Amino acid sequence: MSPRRRRKSQSAAPSEEEVLRILEKWGQSLTEQILKNRYPTLEIPVRTLSNTIWDKKRKILVLGPKKARRSFFDVGEAKRFMQTVLMLSIIVRARREGDYPTIRDLYYTGKHTIYYVDEMGRRRSEETWNDQRESNAVIQDIEVATGLLREHMGIMHDAKGKIVGNVIIRSKGYDIDLSRLGSGAYAVPPNVDKLEIRRVDADYVLVVEKDAIFERLNEEEFWRKHNCVLITGKGQPDRSTRRITRRLWEEFGLPVYVLTDADSYGFYIYSVYRSGSISLSYESERLATPEARFLGVTVTDITEYKIPRNYIIKATDRDIKRAQELLRYPWFKESKAWIEQLKLFIKKKEKVEIEALSGHGFKFLTQTYIPEKIKQRKWIV
Amino acid sequence: MAARLSSRREKFRGLSPAEFFYKNREIAGFSNPVRALYQTIRELVENALDATETHGILPEIKVNIKPLENDHVFVRVEDNGIGIPPTEIPIVFGRVFYGSKYQLRQTRGVFGLGVKMAVLYAQITTGKPLKVVSTQNKSKYEYEFEIQIDIAHNMPIIKNMAIREKTFPHGTIVELITEGNWTLARRKIESYLERTAMIAPYATIVLEELDSKKEYRRVSKVLPPPPETGKYHPKGADLELVKNMIRRSKKSLTLMKFLMENFDGVGKKTAENFLTWAGFDPETKLSKLTLQDIEILVRKMKEYEKWRRPKPITLSPVGESLLKQGVKRILNPSYVTAVTRPPSSFGGNPFIVEVALAYGGNVPQSDTPTLYRFANRIPLLYDEGADVSRKVISSIDWSIYKVKFPAPLAIVTHICSTKIPFKGVGKEAIAEVPEVEKELEIAIREAARRLRRHLSKLEKLYEVKRRKTIIGKYIPEVSRALAYVSNLDEKVLAKKLQTMLEKDIKTRGVINVPAA
Repeated sequence: MSPRRRRKSQSAAPSEEEVLRILEKWGQSLTEQILKNRYPTLEIPVRTLSNTIWDKKRKILVLGPKKARRSFFDVGEAKRFMQTVLMLSIIVRARREGDYPTIRDLYYTGKHTIYYVDEMGRRRSEETWNDQRESNAVIQDIEVATGLLREHMGIMHDAKGKIVGNVIIRSKGYDIDLSRLGSGAYAVPPNVDKLEIRRVDADYVLVVEKDAIFERLNEEEFWRKHNCVLITGKGQPDRSTRRITRRLWEEFGLPVYVLTDADSYGFYIYSVYRSGSISLSYESERLATPEARFLGVTVTDITEYKIPRNYIIKATDRDIKRAQELLRYPWFKESKAWIEQLKLFIKKKEKVEIEALSGHGFKFLTQTYIPEKIKQRKWIV
Repeated sequence: MAARLSSRREKFRGLSPAEFFYKNREIAGFSNPVRALYQTIRELVENALDATETHGILPEIKVNIKPLENDHVFVRVEDNGIGIPPTEIPIVFGRVFYGSKYQLRQTRGVFGLGVKMAVLYAQITTGKPLKVVSTQNKSKYEYEFEIQIDIAHNMPIIKNMAIREKTFPHGTIVELITEGNWTLARRKIESYLERTAMIAPYATIVLEELDSKKEYRRVSKVLPPPPETGKYHPKGADLELVKNMIRRSKKSLTLMKFLMENFDGVGKKTAENFLTWAGFDPETKLSKLTLQDIEILVRKMKEYEKWRRPKPITLSPVGESLLKQGVKRILNPSYVTAVTRPPSSFGGNPFIVEVALAYGGNVPQSDTPTLYRFANRIPLLYDEGADVSRKVISSIDWSIYKVKFPAPLAIVTHICSTKIPFKGVGKEAIAEVPEVEKELEIAIREAARRLRRHLSKLEKLYEVKRRKTIIGKYIPEVSRALAYVSNLDEKVLAKKLQTMLEKDIKTRGVINVPAA
């Protein structure tokens, strides 16, 4: 089989020099405001649900046009302003000195005590930030305001994604063949954009929700037998897992199939791969895979594949509530198939795990279910 | 009170007035050694004030108290009043009698009875005579008397008397030894004098005790105008009073003339209209009236609705300015305001309500407003819970005036009237007379509204000050961060931001803010 031809990426990452230049320019604009005796003011796109828009054409969640003005001379915003420029200076320093701190490193580097005398003349002190939530929030502010992802800024995080298949990547000058890892798999690094994907020889990408299923399929060498790339994000996927999935789809035109449990959480995980998450909608353009297909397990599979009763679990109230929420999401709402699935789920109040397919024998999943569903185009979108 | 005492006197015809009062001493507040000592000081101090302020003299009062053995207490009160003519001294202190009350004005004590009670109580409990030294402005001499009361005959006994060249321009010194519990009464007495100093900022009051001396120096040289004497309002008269008036009048007087001469706001027309309405012939001679006629007359006088309002000339409010000075002198608040209401009346008695409100400073924090009550410039220390002022204050939702408890809020209420509507015989709580209650509420709410305006202003000032702190404390951090990113000197940015902040605060119009 011949390797996939590479397409031009619409979401290529900026170079390190470009990143530093953008960050410095942003800081410089604030400095200039001060030098011109104007109240320094940041403009930051609003990251709330009300400013999250479903882009029908591109089928991804994007940030709306609403921007918040954060002036240093606004009593309610002064601290957040200080935190933002403090974080900016730490990131700029890391870029200038070629460091790759984690978000926790950034939290500790910026955390210190400010001493001051209050309006009643009392000596007081406060921390620049009290917990990592605060420092993480300003990192996100900087991302949306500059249009740079934190991976581009050289900020590391726990990466938990795994990938295996007929793919050759190049990282730090080494070629790595992802089909020659034995029983292991390649751990997706935080900054996927620093990887070069040199060669892809596969028909599709199979994303599985659960690590255990991934391990099983890898051990059986499912990807070799069915000529696909196997990926897992171990539950809710992190940014780098989503990014590499998107790159395989965008740059190599591979169809992407997602396999999760048949419950509200599984459905939502699919939706994150496909359309992006609400809290990180500004990243969707780089992370979402709008054409991802939901292979299963669907609610109708429970009857269609005659899953034995002892594998069926009663859905909790929270499951049902979550499913009702999903029904209101635009990308589910505009899909007849999904409305049908979710309504059935709410009605029957039944859920199953992927492992339920083992009710028909351990080989049923790999030998029957997955190939049959792909071949018969029984996925839903 | 007058009516009640007078009618009782008839029932106790066999007793001398001195005996009567001793047997009913709780009426005058001498129910136990603690109350008695407090009451003694009170009566002497109030007499001293009446001898000074009423006559245009700035009061200078010295109180000296020394506990002796066997629960005996030495008390000396000295004033710079007009003094008492020597011929009257024995009668004033040594004979219990009824003063004439056909003329009316606001006074601290009624009849001057209280001081005789104090003398009587001292004599019964310790057997020691009273010593009085007094001199008048025009006299060259001062007169010293040692007096006791012959209780059975209600006569003064002069134990000793001396005349000498005077050692002070004018005034009176009273010394007595009475039974009292100084330890227990001390706090009440101190707080009584403190409150007296509050309502009388023009008075200098000195309290000398065994081991300490406390002096309230006057903070004002202005005396409130003294009350004028006036006539009774027909609605406020009672049967005993009218009977006495008739007894003292010419019997040939017509009923109409009698009303016109003896009552406030009654002219020819008013008298005629009333008498016709009440079913009397205006030309009836007083000599023709039967006791029953008089009873009907008094009842009709109370029922008649078309009398003119009582004239308040008999009243002497402290006034907003003096009241504020008095409150400042004692409480040292950061804010004080005072409201003197226009005169009003209940049942023919004119009255004026005054209220002061103090906030912050040395006013103690408390869960409800701290209350200082006064009636005719006398501090009321007991029975606060039963007083109409407390009732009005409790009924107000203070949060609408921006007061959050515990708060440093004190309220002073002063009611002056020719007849204070006391609750019960203790004369320590004012009853819930609707007219008085209404005036109190109007005055307190007006003061509270002013407080709210003050607090809003303070809040705004505080807000600006807070703004300076909040933005100012981040300037070094912001300057350092942006200077690093832009490769600039952080001092340049810090200085720019600091200047911008100063300018910003100035446009908000605040430089110095008092601490809340």
